Amino acid sequence: MTTATGSGFVAVVGLGTTGTHIVRTLTENSTGPALRRLHLHDRESEAVARSRQIAATTSTTISTGPLNALSGEQPDVVILATDCGTHADAASQALTRGSHVVSISDDPDEVLALLAFDERAAGRNLSLVVGAGMAPGLSCLLARLAGDGLDRVDAINLAKAGTGGPACARRHHHALKQPGRDWVGGGWELRRGGSGRDLAWFPEPIGARDCYRAALPGPILLHRQYPDARRLSARVSATRRDRFTSWLPMLRKPHQDGGPGAIRAEVRGVRDGAAETVVLAVMAHPSVSAGAVAANAARAVLGGRAPVGAHGLARWPEPGRFLQELHPYGITVSAFGGGQMNTGPWQLTEPVESPGAGADNG
Amino acid sequence: MLTLVRRVMAALGLAGLIATLFRLRGSGGVPPQTGGWQELTPAELADLKPLLVPPPSSNN
Repeated sequence: MTTATGSGFVAVVGLGTTGTHIVRTLTENSTGPALRRLHLHDRESEAVARSRQIAATTSTTISTGPLNALSGEQPDVVILATDCGTHADAASQALTRGSHVVSISDDPDEVLALLAFDERAAGRNLSLVVGAGMAPGLSCLLARLAGDGLDRVDAINLAKAGTGGPACARRHHHALKQPGRDWVGGGWELRRGGSGRDLAWFPEPIGARDCYRAALPGPILLHRQYPDARRLSARVSATRRDRFTSWLPMLRKPHQDGGPGAIRAEVRGVRDGAAETVVLAVMAHPSVSAGAVAANAARAVLGGRAPVGAHGLARWPEPGRFLQELHPYGITVSAFGGGQMNTGPWQLTEPVESPGAGADNG
Repeated sequence: MLTLVRRVMAALGLAGLIATLFRLRGSGGVPPQTGGWQELTPAELADLKPLLVPPPSSNN
């Protein structure tokens, strides 16, 4: 585990839609380690001014500018919320300067590059939290929480609906035309993006969405925690238009915020010798939830609760506690189960009927 | 031409027969009529195990 830091100095690099929510969550949160100083940086001065205004309501000292221009005191934690493709270099520099790093990158190649810093980070007693957003991030926490309820995990399927800010929408568009990486029966399989339609049910008001393979890093991060699982896969919701136009550049400017979305983790395994499936989900705005997850990860690192080395949130030591800490931000975990909702006993899984008593499935 | 028509009719008839057999022999079960999403309280997040149904005993 990391050691708790007393100075409470956090830097947020990248102040787009999600970065702004990271700043808001960091400054609103009055529990946990005190945030003494906040350093903000973005290539757009308007974004810096907007985040500075949000943080100005607190007693936290605020500074701005590129990280490499900082002289003297270095941040305890650097949160990287920039576009994908920039995180590996930035993380490398931050580790060299002795800072912990929290990255929200959802690019599989970049996630692999960040995980390759494991020994380097561990050697410096630093934590590099990889994929601390909604998916990956919240999805990994849900999978881990569900997996902890089982004796053995055989298969995990993640599904995500919705996008955050413009960078997230561009990434979603790009991911659909790249192959998805699934762990199947002890090896990685690359499968065409946009294939493998799966109807996934999310909590209302998202409901049922068709989800498809895409270049998503969830299975890579889950494999670190569940190397013996038979199947690890991830899908993302897409419309016919998304799939049809995935090979083209984005035809119109993405929304400033993609609106409400959801994340879902279906975990299959064995408990007490019987097959079991646990399905957990969260309905939330992707940018808000990603911001809350990243900010909370940074707070946990400051408090000395993060493992050292490079790791995703599937390897977080206390997934339940992490999710409890997200609850005040409206990130509520739902479980899919059987029984009479609200009117009778509700249980997370359907009771298994004794042999011969079940319906004849022909 | 008549041979083609006879073959098409035979194929359709065979498909219909198989479909009828499946329809009569298999019930297909009944989709779940209860259950759904339930929000978990922060206390329930600490440990999901109490929410899991105990497995059936071996003498069932």
